[in-house]
Amino acid sequence: MGLQPFEAVVASHHAEIYRYLLRLTSRSGDADDLSQETFLRAYRAWEGLDAGANVRAWLFTIATNLARNYYRSESRRRRAYAGVSDTRSDVDPASPEEERRYRETRALLERVVDGLPLKQRMAFVLRKLHDLEYDAIGKSLECSPESARAHVFQALKKIRVSLNGHELPTMENVR
Amino acid sequence: MTTKHPSCRAIELDLVATATGDAESRAAQRVHRHMDGCAPCREEFGRYRAVDHVARGIRPEPAPEQLAQARTGLESRLADLRQRRVAYRIFPSPLGHILVGRSEHGIALVEYLGRGTTLSASRLGRVEGVEAVEGGPELERLQRDLLDFIGGRRRDLDWTLDWRLARSDFERAVLEATAAIPYGAVASYAGVARRIGKPSAVRAVAQALRWNPLPIVVPCHRVIGTSGRLTGYAGDKLGWKQQLLTVEGIKLRAAERDYRIAREAMYALGEGETEYCLPSCGSIGTRSLALLTLFASREVAEARGLAPCTSCRPDLHPLQIV
Repeated sequence: MGLQPFEAVVASHHAEIYRYLLRLTSRSGDADDLSQETFLRAYRAWEGLDAGANVRAWLFTIATNLARNYYRSESRRRRAYAGVSDTRSDVDPASPEEERRYRETRALLERVVDGLPLKQRMAFVLRKLHDLEYDAIGKSLECSPESARAHVFQALKKIRVSLNGHELPTMENVR
Repeated sequence: MTTKHPSCRAIELDLVATATGDAESRAAQRVHRHMDGCAPCREEFGRYRAVDHVARGIRPEPAPEQLAQARTGLESRLADLRQRRVAYRIFPSPLGHILVGRSEHGIALVEYLGRGTTLSASRLGRVEGVEAVEGGPELERLQRDLLDFIGGRRRDLDWTLDWRLARSDFERAVLEATAAIPYGAVASYAGVARRIGKPSAVRAVAQALRWNPLPIVVPCHRVIGTSGRLTGYAGDKLGWKQQLLTVEGIKLRAAERDYRIAREAMYALGEGETEYCLPSCGSIGTRSLALLTLFASREVAEARGLAPCTSCRPDLHPLQIV
């Protein structure tokens, strides 16, 4: 059955897909449901998948589709906005002062990202947080790789503008 | 923000891509050349670098127990789905379209679809607790085996079976007794009833075989009436039963709107015996078919470990096959 046992697919990708959906929904319960649904769908389609398929990108496509359906209902979307994102910092900045500033900026950034139009938000998260190729992002969002790239560009511009006046961590060595 | 110089605007997309590690090397070179003479863009570049850096930090790190809980929930739903799942394949055959369905335990369904060619014609989609999914190439072997069997190029289907579609213990017992009738042999409905210890349940046996979820594999075509007539198969498909039996070498004669087993052209085994006989041996020729198994050839009888009868000596006087 399939190219490798499905258990191996779950083992390699579950955590990442869960994180992706948690980022999109900001609610662990919804990330739970959507990630389960993602893998159940994948399991059903597993045997028909081409031997050469990019399993990771394929899982992201399924998860993205489910997340889009999830956001079809506008009320749900608003509820998600209000949701507190339960994330923890995985960065360890040098000083407490810098850490505080970093946290503030990050919290602001999260709100900005959550407020982006859905496709821009998804493209941004897939590219910046999961390093997916634009080909794969295009497939997930049902658009061309160029459009996917443009979504990420637009997202970055908006983020950049909304962070105007906020001190950002200094980046040594700009080149 | 102040209005940008056209050359800055022209390079903006590449600048953002370069600052966020997303640009091809030629575009990056263009951006750096431009920035050498443009302080505002250098600053902009720095801002985007910083934005990108912070942005990559908003990837949520769920608590390990949260992740573990999600994983456990998934595993249990997957186990449930795996249990319910039957992968199927539909293909044309000389007996119309056939569906084979396989669960993780084995082959659960072989079904004649009649005039249908899709899942909607199958009972699989209507069975409670079963999730039918279209199977992949791994079911091709089943198709090949089955077509070889129907065409007489294969004598056994060594498939592991999943009995989940048997609706009762009684049905399961009937199916297993039927599965024990060897290739090239026939027994009667009454004989199967005796074998499962319910000699009077002849009609119930016939009914159970009508619903056989595994025709061909569980060879209900080898079960006939005590009159020697085929009596029925897959609704009104007596012709298919005749075809399957003929392929196995069993001699049949046309009887009105039916076929009759040519008893006189078959070897016979009495109930509980280990030696097979000529049809003319002792009382064999007049014994009820409820008490006999008939074999098309010595070869198929001996393949079952049966010895030739020491009084009628079928080994010395084999039937002349007409």
